[in-house]
Amino acid sequence: MGKIVSIHSFRGGTGKSNTTANLAAQAALAGKRVGVVDTDIQSPGIHVLFGLDENSMGRTLNDFLHGQCEIKEVAHPVGERAATEKDAEGRKKLAGTNLWLIPSSIRGREISRVLREGYDVNRLNEGLQNLISDMKLDYLFIDTHPGLNEETLLSIAISDILLIILRPDNQDFQGTAVTVDIARSLDVTNLLLMVNKAVPNKYDYNDLKQQIENAYKAPLTGILPLSFDMADNASKDLFSLRFPDHDWSKELRRVAAAVLEVK
Amino acid sequence: MPGLFDRLQNQIEDKRREGGITALDLADLPPALRKIMRLMLRQLQMNYPQLCEAMDGMPENERLSRADLDRSLDTLTQQAWLTRLGEGAKAVYKVNLKAKSGSTLASGIWSALDDKLKK
Repeated sequence: MGKIVSIHSFRGGTGKSNTTANLAAQAALAGKRVGVVDTDIQSPGIHVLFGLDENSMGRTLNDFLHGQCEIKEVAHPVGERAATEKDAEGRKKLAGTNLWLIPSSIRGREISRVLREGYDVNRLNEGLQNLISDMKLDYLFIDTHPGLNEETLLSIAISDILLIILRPDNQDFQGTAVTVDIARSLDVTNLLLMVNKAVPNKYDYNDLKQQIENAYKAPLTGILPLSFDMADNASKDLFSLRFPDHDWSKELRRVAAAVLEVK
Repeated sequence: MPGLFDRLQNQIEDKRREGGITALDLADLPPALRKIMRLMLRQLQMNYPQLCEAMDGMPENERLSRADLDRSLDTLTQQAWLTRLGEGAKAVYKVNLKAKSGSTLASGIWSALDDKLKK
């Protein structure tokens, strides 16, 4: 059975979607069959990193949740699409890989409909599990809404691996403690941590690693630097593919290796 | 006019819609019940022999005895956190997650928003 990898952060702005998209891309380049689901129904965004917009998106997770299609029909073949990329050098490298994106709708009316009417959580879970079996996925990456809501808690409860992203910031440190507690009480077996947006040359890598691992009793898989280059990329492309020699990309690959090493 | 089977099926669906467990509730369950629920969340549905087989495949210190498994299944079914279809060895269990309820904002607010979004 394929593994579910949930990417979570207690607070917004930690780089969750960017990390999720880049990790999924690295896994696909390593020859794995990979799905990425955007369960951030209230504020979806990961589709941008894969070059989709409102017009090119077609069917979405929202259509599936409203019973209008099967989950397989929502899976956009990123690997196929990559071959036709013109402006995104990074994404172009995904040509021929087995990578699918299940986006959430970016249409205002669809977002408001889910918020107004709610949805059947059983259907969401069944969709995720069926996606793994139907598409024969090795990994299903779930990009979650920050903080704790129904989708996020479900994704934590069903995950084989939970990667929590935090910045070196006291608000993030406290929030992460909450998520770690909940993950432990839901018996998540593989809990991994990642620091993002660390001011370069400010922290001693080993000190920060030890401090965080002692605080949360979970392995820190990488410390990714705060980067103007990353900000300049503005989610237009998959950074680790476009700039593979950048420090951010090297550290991201370290995190990807840790995820793929989990048995 | 709906037949007996349809009516029973509707009753089961109604029960599923009314009850159900939230992901947060899972955290408060006793370990044995949580173990079954986590397994069921991934497998979606299992019959009794499959559940026994899954238990037998677990490390010895995590395994539930048959008696504990039976008791746990009864509790989960009574709470409507698992739905049981059929009886005995042929019974199939399905997890029942509570539906995410819609917003409690006044409906006028949503209509106004819809009107704006139409433009």
